[in-house]
Amino acid sequence: MAEMIKLFVNGNEVEVEAGKNLIDAIGAVGIEIPHLCYHPALGADGNCRMCLVGLEEGGPPLVAACKTPAAEGMKVLLDADHIKKIQHDVLEFQLINHPVDCPVCDQAGECSLQDYYMTYDGQKSRMTVPQVTKSKKMDFGCGVIHDQERCVLCGRCVRFCRQITKTGELGIVNRTDTARVAIFPGRPLDNRYAVNVVDLCPVGAMTSADFRFKQRVWFMKKERGVCHGCSKGCNITIDHNREKDQDDLIYRFRPLFNEQINGYFICDEGRLSYRDENENRLTEARLSKTTMSLDKAVTAGLKEIKRAEGIVILISPDCSLEQMVSVKSLAEELGATLSGFSDGYIKKGDGDDYLIQDDKAANRAGLAALNIDSSQTGFEEALAKAGLLINFNNDLSLFYDESSLKKLFKEKRVIGVTSRNTKLFQMANLVIPVASFTEYSGSIISCDNILQTFNRAITKNDTLVDICEVASLFGGPLKTDRDRYDELKKIVVSLNDFDPDTIPATGLKLT
Amino acid sequence: MEVKILSAKFDLEDGHKLEIAKQHGAYGTLDKLFAMKPEEVIEEVKASGLRGRGGAGFPAGVKWGFLPKGTGKPVYLAVNSDESEPATFKDRYILVKDPHMMIEGIIICSYAIGSHDTYIYIRGEYTSQVKALQAAIDEAYEAGYLGDKVAGHDFKLEVTVHRGAGAYVCGEETGLLESIEGKKGQPRAKPPFPAVSGLYGCPTIINNVQSIASLPFILEKGAEAYKAYGTEKSSGTHLFGISGHVEKPGMYELPLGLPLLEVVEKVAGGVWKGRTLKGVIPGGSSTPVLTPDEAKTVTLDYESMAEHKTMFGSGGIVVLDETVDMVKLVENLIYFYHHESCGQCTPCREGLGWMLKIIKKVVRGEGEMSDINLLLELCDNIEMKTVCVLSAACTMPVRSYLVKFRDEFDAYVSEDISTAAANQE
Repeated sequence: MAEMIKLFVNGNEVEVEAGKNLIDAIGAVGIEIPHLCYHPALGADGNCRMCLVGLEEGGPPLVAACKTPAAEGMKVLLDADHIKKIQHDVLEFQLINHPVDCPVCDQAGECSLQDYYMTYDGQKSRMTVPQVTKSKKMDFGCGVIHDQERCVLCGRCVRFCRQITKTGELGIVNRTDTARVAIFPGRPLDNRYAVNVVDLCPVGAMTSADFRFKQRVWFMKKERGVCHGCSKGCNITIDHNREKDQDDLIYRFRPLFNEQINGYFICDEGRLSYRDENENRLTEARLSKTTMSLDKAVTAGLKEIKRAEGIVILISPDCSLEQMVSVKSLAEELGATLSGFSDGYIKKGDGDDYLIQDDKAANRAGLAALNIDSSQTGFEEALAKAGLLINFNNDLSLFYDESSLKKLFKEKRVIGVTSRNTKLFQMANLVIPVASFTEYSGSIISCDNILQTFNRAITKNDTLVDICEVASLFGGPLKTDRDRYDELKKIVVSLNDFDPDTIPATGLKLT
Repeated sequence: MEVKILSAKFDLEDGHKLEIAKQHGAYGTLDKLFAMKPEEVIEEVKASGLRGRGGAGFPAGVKWGFLPKGTGKPVYLAVNSDESEPATFKDRYILVKDPHMMIEGIIICSYAIGSHDTYIYIRGEYTSQVKALQAAIDEAYEAGYLGDKVAGHDFKLEVTVHRGAGAYVCGEETGLLESIEGKKGQPRAKPPFPAVSGLYGCPTIINNVQSIASLPFILEKGAEAYKAYGTEKSSGTHLFGISGHVEKPGMYELPLGLPLLEVVEKVAGGVWKGRTLKGVIPGGSSTPVLTPDEAKTVTLDYESMAEHKTMFGSGGIVVLDETVDMVKLVENLIYFYHHESCGQCTPCREGLGWMLKIIKKVVRGEGEMSDINLLLELCDNIEMKTVCVLSAACTMPVRSYLVKFRDEFDAYVSEDISTAAANQE
């Protein structure tokens, strides 16, 4: 627990954390100090002047809250008329050359300038002279579109590229009111985290080419999620919406702050991985080429299992712990060999020293925790002796090419239990569609050995079953969430003291 | 009225050359200097009452005393030769006519503050001045006054000249540091102040050319001799650049504390062409203007200027005669400060541009009374809300013209523009 200090805001005593600046310290107890340029990940710059507050007794009468550490006994003045006037005046300055094109701006609804205008300004424009004009819809690369006229020159994007990615593609050129954010000619954004500047931008100056004009933000529902793009387990906000006569679709992933995992950011690949949740999904069960209901498909599957001489069950390293333990119990029940072989998920050398990992599997640590063998030889030797492969969503095509797969599946029956309608699963004799990770609740363990839980965010028009459910229908003994969790606790000792609802939202570092 | 302390060698032929300068006493204080303790030097400078000659007038010795002790980091001295305040032309004389006096001052200051690296930041437009300065530094190195052993003493000192690229804001001390570091010249938010964290994050003292050049005299003749000039709180002499509508514009060294109008009359020959006085800018374009009435009682020192709600500034006195159109003068002022705003912080970046457009509208004859009031209000809304004082350097004088010469502005918005123009003929 951090050291606490007492200070006064507008004469009222509040207890805040020591060692933080006034914006964060006072903000943590619910008192907002408006600011545009300050961002906790990028430090204080002090250029926007929105956070000027008064200090009574001692010190200069006016300080930038972002640059002022909270101190014991400090008397901060926020609601005095002269401070309110500064907030109004600074907003007026920000807005005189702003296009105020909120109706066509993607940021509307989540724009600091818009929100602050409503809260702190709300006055009519006094601008009677022509505005400064700058460039619009500039392609900055990496799917980032820049509008210089909407820009408030807070420099967050510039500082992000200098401090976080250390690539320095962005800068502010020119002086005075012709200052603008720019790239060097022919040197666009070129880093794998670039779209974070869109989230960082407090206004609509940076927009995402992928998202712009797709949705008004106030129509979207926002749920917490965990990115399954690699083993890091970055926290995300899943923004989704069910438009009239359409399915529940995801429009974007945005980073969600988690100090011990991803901080404030995510990578661009993870951000765009929402597309896989919408597109190319398997929605109907199929035996050979005949589509059928889930019930009939399960019956067909049970027949296959009964007939089979030797079964190999393959599980995806993306599956949740609950799914893994369900399938593990199923394998034990059927006397099948269980494998978590997934070397294809590892892209050697792709990771960096920041967020992106070589291992594109979300829960490989889960495989290890449940003692599921993941070796290639284990998988191949077992399969050679078996007559049936039940593949729970494991994308073998990441490892084997098409001809190797054909060879592997020769004279085998294959049941695919999958969320993806890919070539690999088109090769299966029977396929059963299941929910993808935004559509079920579960827990996974990241590469840093942090256990995280997540809840179902999306409810499709035609709801697909969870892999846990399929395992149970195939004869697995674990029927309820309680069963699964109790089984998990038996295997993973460090979970003994926890139940799913006592695991902290920010994750649990396993020892 | 004129005195010759700083300008003692200005009239010498080739006084900028080491040989001639030495014959007239240059570097004569070094033996005395190195026999003293650094603290004694600081005490002497404090006792002299020398105040920063860059415009703010902060006591130089006190500033040096802000350096933290025992940080383990190098201490830097940055000499501010940006001299970009309009109507200011004093430092350039030192750079060209007696650069060795400044180099000697640099040695004194460096020894006092324990610095071994000096950066002289000189404005980019000073092309001939930078040549003269560099030639003098080269001479000083060759003669052993700079380098590993300053004048044979166990003291190392390197001096580097850094040329600016023509930005007014780089005369602001932290903007200057950013520029030396190779960054865009944008002032830093303070605190921390440069004495604690300055150049490359190290303790740094920034002094104006004239402040540094005043040190040899103080060390040679003593604090009391320096205090013999000027007033009690504004001691010493100052190089005044008198320009505008006077008979004899030029640079004059005067003790502080003389009555302004007397100086204009006796030193600069009075308002030219027998015209009447309309106003005086006392210390560079950023200082609030004085009306003839105010000018009658003001003296050339920090205290009297403050009493008259203006500033001593840089000693750049501009005399305005009756023909000056104050509205157009203000347009010119705002144009300059808007152009020179670094664009970093909101009120200055956006506000000065707005003010410029409003005053242009007024000058075009399209303004309304509300525009004049808005200008006044914007001065308040911008001033002191910014990272540095560049915006105040614009709003303080602009407000003074708007208040003291309000009728001229009103004439522009209430009368036909041709009438206002005719009044100027």
